[in-house]
Amino acid sequence: MSDTSGVQDKPKHLKHYFVDSDQQFEASKMGMWVFLVTEILFFGGLFAAYIVYRSWYPELYIQASTELDTFWGTVNTAVLIGSSLTVAMAIRSAQLNQIKGLITNLWITISLAFVFMVIKFFEYTHKFDKGILPGEYYTYEGLAHEKANIFFSIYYMMTGLHGIHVIIGIGLMLFLVYKAKKGVFSSEYYTPVEITGLYWHLVDVIWIFLFPLLYLID
Amino acid sequence: MSGHHISSAKFLWGIGSALFFLTFITVAASWVHFPSPWNIVVAIGIASVKALIVVAFFMNLWWDSKFNSMLFVMSLIFFLLLIGITLLDTLFRVDPVPSF
Repeated sequence: MSDTSGVQDKPKHLKHYFVDSDQQFEASKMGMWVFLVTEILFFGGLFAAYIVYRSWYPELYIQASTELDTFWGTVNTAVLIGSSLTVAMAIRSAQLNQIKGLITNLWITISLAFVFMVIKFFEYTHKFDKGILPGEYYTYEGLAHEKANIFFSIYYMMTGLHGIHVIIGIGLMLFLVYKAKKGVFSSEYYTPVEITGLYWHLVDVIWIFLFPLLYLID
Repeated sequence: MSGHHISSAKFLWGIGSALFFLTFITVAASWVHFPSPWNIVVAIGIASVKALIVVAFFMNLWWDSKFNSMLFVMSLIFFLLLIGITLLDTLFRVDPVPSF
């Protein structure tokens, strides 16, 4: 029979195929980074489309971006950076075994993500009302450029995919709150918090590039 | 658990404040109206600094295993490859795109 000593002090979260908690944590984190690489390349395709069309129609981008409201873009950037900060604080709380702090920080993050989506909703509906829709549905007359719909197709694809990521992030963090309330997390085990944090920061990084590229063109 | 980096609250707020400040700088830079290529260079430059700060200090790559940093750098290299090879085509077409 194999050695069974040490079975009692094996923590509940530890899968049998890992040597110890640290190895399991490092493996999860590395797996998440591999996923983030695919995310960067996923958005990378859209950034490539942005760059190609901007090199073809530079004047279109300058005209069309005047339709985007820099003020609300800036507010949303600040909201997302704030939510990145609270996620980092949530991870710190988990590391220090402060589960109440973890839940509070997660709720603040969820609220900020929600604020982001509400602002995005009003930005979108304002454009829809004017007939600024992607592709062939574009009917707005206010821009004197025959390819004006191209900028907004790219705008909707990039901010839309980003928005879907924000919504998924809200779902993930609600799940974390549920788990934290059940007492799953501690300073010994907070891997899902760390992993979701990495995801959330990447969503923030994508927006950090979307904001100047879409809103801040003269 | 041993070996996990725990940032102090003060440090995290410092990083957050730096990011808020740089956001203000990007917006302010867009009011200056730099001449054509430079407005993009400045905007992307500041965004890159912000992204690096987030990746290094919020995503903890600064203290993390070098392997994860390598993964991240590889994604950037392949992204640049994607753009580079695409532009080698699209920038040098005689007739850009017929209908779209």
